[in-house]
Amino acid sequence: MRREQRVNRKAGVNFERSWTPWLYLLPHALFFLGFIIFPLFFGVYISMVRWDPLRDTIPFVGAEHYWELFSKGTPQNEFFWKTLANTLGFVAVSVPLLVGSALGLANLVYKPIRGRNFFRAVFFLPGVLSVSVISILWRWMFANQAGLINVVLTEVLGGTAVAWLTTEGAAWVPIVLGTLWWSVGFNMTIYLAAIGNISRSLYEAAEMDGAGSWAQFTKITVPMLSQTTLFVTVTTVLGSFQLFGQSLLITGGGPTRSTQSVIMYITEEAFGNNQYSSAAAMAFVFGLIMLVFTAVQFWLNARDAKRVRL
Amino acid sequence: MKKSARQLLRFSVLIFFALVFLLPIYWMLNTSFKPESDTLARPVQWWPYRPTLGNFLEVLTSPDGNLLRWLWNSVFTATMYAGFHLLFCALAAFPLARMKFRGRELWFWFILSSMMIPGVVTLIPSYILMIRLEWIDTYNAMIWPGVSDAFGVFLLRQFFLGIPRELEEAAVMDGASSLKVFLRILVPMSVPALVTLLVFSFMACWNNYTWPLFVMHGDMQTLPVGISSFSSRYNTDYGKLMAATALTAIPVIIAYVLAQRHLERGMSLSGSKE
Repeated sequence: MRREQRVNRKAGVNFERSWTPWLYLLPHALFFLGFIIFPLFFGVYISMVRWDPLRDTIPFVGAEHYWELFSKGTPQNEFFWKTLANTLGFVAVSVPLLVGSALGLANLVYKPIRGRNFFRAVFFLPGVLSVSVISILWRWMFANQAGLINVVLTEVLGGTAVAWLTTEGAAWVPIVLGTLWWSVGFNMTIYLAAIGNISRSLYEAAEMDGAGSWAQFTKITVPMLSQTTLFVTVTTVLGSFQLFGQSLLITGGGPTRSTQSVIMYITEEAFGNNQYSSAAAMAFVFGLIMLVFTAVQFWLNARDAKRVRL
Repeated sequence: MKKSARQLLRFSVLIFFALVFLLPIYWMLNTSFKPESDTLARPVQWWPYRPTLGNFLEVLTSPDGNLLRWLWNSVFTATMYAGFHLLFCALAAFPLARMKFRGRELWFWFILSSMMIPGVVTLIPSYILMIRLEWIDTYNAMIWPGVSDAFGVFLLRQFFLGIPRELEEAAVMDGASSLKVFLRILVPMSVPALVTLLVFSFMACWNNYTWPLFVMHGDMQTLPVGISSFSSRYNTDYGKLMAATALTAIPVIIAYVLAQRHLERGMSLSGSKE
């Protein structure tokens, strides 16, 4: 009989042959190693040579592309740090907005109310659109001429129009608001699931003690959601670091690179200037900065993975 | 009395926010039905008083881009990607959740740790890999590079772990093969998770912008990249731009209304949109 097949209640089943598990893992493993792990190491190599699609030779240059980033006077040095600062500024402004308003919206739609599902769906809806759709849409909303925002400013409020897309500083407004509109519903959904896990008895006890809804929100909801807030904040920080399509399509990175994100600059260096090696080096330096946040996110995911197993 | 007043206030606030959220969508549709002269007219026209389908007809037959071809590219690549992604991830999650073998934990953590690699780090080497494989401007470039990720394996393994073992233990005692256990027990019991992942990865591929922007050109562009190339062609001709945007957005909005539950769940589980 099939003596290989035994049940071990703790760890799972021993199936046919010792290589049976690897047969199931194989298709995933092939593409995983080929298109995720290999490019990582290939990227290290690319960043240490001068890779030029038009030439036959590939000279080894070591850490030259990395030094360029830290030596004054090179365009790489100037624009990498400038666009990195732009990106950090975007993170600093967009993350509190995206987390705070998600919590606010979740608190508004959590309690039973007429049309609750409709509101939830409406707030989440923009999140299913692609970044190019939302960017073109918000460029039109903020268009210098006849954009809806300027129409409201001038015709409804009687103020003066602002050249949103071409004024330094103001050009961030459509990018930040477009991003908020696009992805706040996604954070809201995570908060909604978490609020559902807070024990109702806490609120009932607070109500009996005469606590109003604001006190309940600040004294119960917010502290009970601290774990969720950590998760939402970390994923939102990582999402905001990835800023690309909005800058590219709403402002084109302008005026004078003031809204260019670091990923946009990296792609410009690679695909615009054909400096693939230099761009690969920048991507690694940028990736290292993000590693702080990806590590926290990894730790949170790993904790979930362990929790289910025990 | 006081309670119902509060309820009314909360309802009004929600209505206000809902209108703010829907306004850009309304404005997109409003603009797309206006003739070119009316889109920039002042005072503004809150309603398309001279409605026309001209913008839609023009973008659909434009010599500058083949919208229907882009639509087909998106449909085909997203379907293939979602299907193979689901297949590979489900096959891999099965032994990681249910079989006992050496290296199981090690391999799982190896896959999981790839979640720490930011996408931008592999963008350029992957692009060069596509050149070497001669996959630029082919469907292969959209389907295979992202087909084996950590998220899908992670999600399905967690789900498989939550399914009671009794049924498959009994089946194994009766001599059922692993494939039988997988197809007859695990898969039928995991339909909600499988559908969630399928819908989610379809949407992720459909909406992907950065990768196809660099690997797909001309007639091979996907819809999001295609309409962004319209965006530079038509520049300030917002009627046509909004018609193209609406044609792209409306099918997704309809699909969302139909598959809302699965999509929200997949997105909140992934914690990422890219």
